[in-house]
Amino acid sequence: MLTFLVRRISQAIAVLLLISFIGFLIFQFLGDPAVAMAGRYASQEQRAQVREALGLDEPIYVQYFTFLKNALHGDFGQSYVYHADALQLILDRLPASIELAVTAMVIALFFGVVLGVIASLNPRAVVSRFIMSGSLLGVSIPTFVTGILFILIFAVNLGIFPTSGRGNVVTLFPGWQSNFLSWDGITHLILPAITLSFFQLAVLLRLTRGGMVEILQEDYIRTAWAKGLLTRVVVFKHALRNVLIPVITMVGLQLGELIAHSIVTESIFQWPGAGQLLLTALYEADRPILVTYIMMAAFFILVINLVVDIMYALLNPKIRYE
Amino acid sequence: MGKLFDASHLTRRGFLKRTGLATGALAVGGLTTPFPHAKKTLAQQNERFIAAVSAPPRTMNPYGSDADSNLSVMSNIFEGLLQRDVSGELKPALATDWTRVDELTWRFKLRKGVKFHNGNDFTWEDVKFSFKRMAQPKVSEFLSTGQSIDSVTKVSDDPVTIDIKTKSPIPWFDQNLHQLYIMDKESTEARSAGEVAQEPIGTGPYRFVEWVKGSNLDLEVNNGYWGELPEIKQARLRPLTEPSTRLAAMEAGEVDLMKDIPVRLFERAEEDPNTKVVTRPSRRAIFLGLRNASDFPASDLRVREAIYRAINEPEIIAAVMNNHASPAAQIPDPPTIGFSEDIERFSFNLDKARQLLKDAGFSDGFDITLTGPNDRYVQDEQIAQAIATQLSKVDINVELDVKPKAIYFEELPKHKLDFYLLGWFDGAFDFGRTYSKLIHTVDKEQGLGTFNAADYSAPDLDQIWEEANQIVDPKEREKKLQELNRKAMEEKISVIPLHYQQDTWAIKKGAGIEFTPRPDGWVRFIDIGIKQ
Repeated sequence: MLTFLVRRISQAIAVLLLISFIGFLIFQFLGDPAVAMAGRYASQEQRAQVREALGLDEPIYVQYFTFLKNALHGDFGQSYVYHADALQLILDRLPASIELAVTAMVIALFFGVVLGVIASLNPRAVVSRFIMSGSLLGVSIPTFVTGILFILIFAVNLGIFPTSGRGNVVTLFPGWQSNFLSWDGITHLILPAITLSFFQLAVLLRLTRGGMVEILQEDYIRTAWAKGLLTRVVVFKHALRNVLIPVITMVGLQLGELIAHSIVTESIFQWPGAGQLLLTALYEADRPILVTYIMMAAFFILVINLVVDIMYALLNPKIRYE
Repeated sequence: MGKLFDASHLTRRGFLKRTGLATGALAVGGLTTPFPHAKKTLAQQNERFIAAVSAPPRTMNPYGSDADSNLSVMSNIFEGLLQRDVSGELKPALATDWTRVDELTWRFKLRKGVKFHNGNDFTWEDVKFSFKRMAQPKVSEFLSTGQSIDSVTKVSDDPVTIDIKTKSPIPWFDQNLHQLYIMDKESTEARSAGEVAQEPIGTGPYRFVEWVKGSNLDLEVNNGYWGELPEIKQARLRPLTEPSTRLAAMEAGEVDLMKDIPVRLFERAEEDPNTKVVTRPSRRAIFLGLRNASDFPASDLRVREAIYRAINEPEIIAAVMNNHASPAAQIPDPPTIGFSEDIERFSFNLDKARQLLKDAGFSDGFDITLTGPNDRYVQDEQIAQAIATQLSKVDINVELDVKPKAIYFEELPKHKLDFYLLGWFDGAFDFGRTYSKLIHTVDKEQGLGTFNAADYSAPDLDQIWEEANQIVDPKEREKKLQELNRKAMEEKISVIPLHYQQDTWAIKKGAGIEFTPRPDGWVRFIDIGIKQ
């Protein structure tokens, strides 16, 4: 186990290094930040002053090693646009993204499992067919279409939910403002969370249904039916429990991606999360934010993967990492 | 991301048609009339005026961004020595009176009894400090202005009078002062640059309350303001960058005022019974630059006129801009010094264009490359395409080279383009400065012709510009600049102006909002009236 851990962690560090280097190289081609930062009317000499102040006049490999050295000290540089610490800017936005992603995941998990079970019990019924074709839509409609439709229907026409933004948030503890603690915050959360959950919901639904259909054929389920157990007990206690293992694994793996990839949803609902910050940074060629964000997303995904691997070993004695 | 923004520009019906979502269409199609039930506005709930804008504020450091979206926000919290009213006219602010003493020296009488939001008195030391800070590359996008200042000195005590000396003559120095904000020396020096960029302390009509990045900026009235207090006491600015969401927020009654209605959703906004739509020509003119080196066809004035006359601008405005633009005969807009009402467009005339080309020896036409951005101005790529089609009718074969702004704007200062599309307005409201950046012969040392991307050169026009710079009297100088403008547009055809873009605003009906759009498109809450 220990050798495994050491190997996996050193692999993760290598991946992070590689990502930082590629990110650093690619974003070189986004344009010269000094042009914008010296102002519209600046002369060549004034642009050179800005480059010097930011260290952009150094050769690229020197810039990269300076970046690495500072990053190890927790300093990912200053945003060119906001003139503030890049990591701090992203961390400020992270609670909004995490709350949105977690809510979306809870919605997806609950409805995915419930609908998946319904669809599996009687696969030929109209309801099941309706659910299954609905899940196809969920996988195939792009998020921006669902998002705009939801805004038009529920916010503009029906006026039930607000169109966009985070509403009145309540400070949970310093550095974390929460949507969950006020009614206004909750109403603002619902539409974007449902929009973001759509794809995951469809995936989890199909996963649950597939597993259930298979397991319901198993001998021990037949035995349970034969014993005359209640439907509720057979379905939830004996069948579903076993189906949930791969479903939960999937949830863990997808959560990191949901946080990192909620850019489109955040943009449509103007959710002040990290995804929206990333999008603005792309347009403004704000390299420190872009590199930091990508490294952070990679870090999350690597950590979650590692945790899932370890959990496997702990939960299932058949799996050994030697 | 391209897809995302395409979809967001569609009208609701067009959008559904294209995506072909039968179920969605049924659901929404049946609901096109908004439900009549009460749409409570945030403004009604807590008397806070909410304005939605398309670009988020970047920083609370007044020199941290020279983008108009940021200057607009800062104008509520900070003040310059001067300010501009809703018509764009220059008015006193922290200075009550000003004169140009000689070519290099400007004299200001400072307003008495003004206090910063933290209670500090406004003094001449703050002015001195502010211009120094503008010259620092780490905190300023106003380097060009900051580094042009030679000294700020006190002339007399009561009233406090100061002289600002520039290193070289800057005839438009006063025209720029509405956006060169004065900061509090004591609190700015005492705090780190990061803190200063988070919590602004100015002298303006509003004091800063809270900035939640990506979400909202809240302001409240500064009761100690030296001038008449604004009618809006609590204000919130919401950046809603996604166009369809911005309009949805307006339609749902969540905001009181909205800037930038997307061109393709304009009709939908007009049809909304709760919304009033207001437009005015924007300051920004779109124009074409054209090389005039001797080995290039357009070095011949007849060829320049032929290209000008072969472009059917009314058609571009109607078909490409959906009528949300007005024809331009010059680059400056009316409030700009040097704008001349006498300049007219060369009328669209294909026969004349063909004749001119024949006279110049190009009866078979020629090949030319038109370079432009595809993500910077309203319909920029489509304008370039329309021009290519129109010029093909006089056998000028246009190859299009459109690209993202980040790449395009790096190519401009290399001066290698033959024919390019660019938009411009002058933040200092001065054609002299516009000329020096767009048309003047390239001179890197002096920072002249920075955006003269085709290396255009007309030494006799440069001469007139030079003469205008030496005139101290503003009226005389304006005449000289008008002459320069007329010669550049009509005699030399230095550039081919196309049109002014249009600023579009949506205002909530029935809330008693009295709003006049400003030429600079800024949202200054003090300009907005509320009828009780």
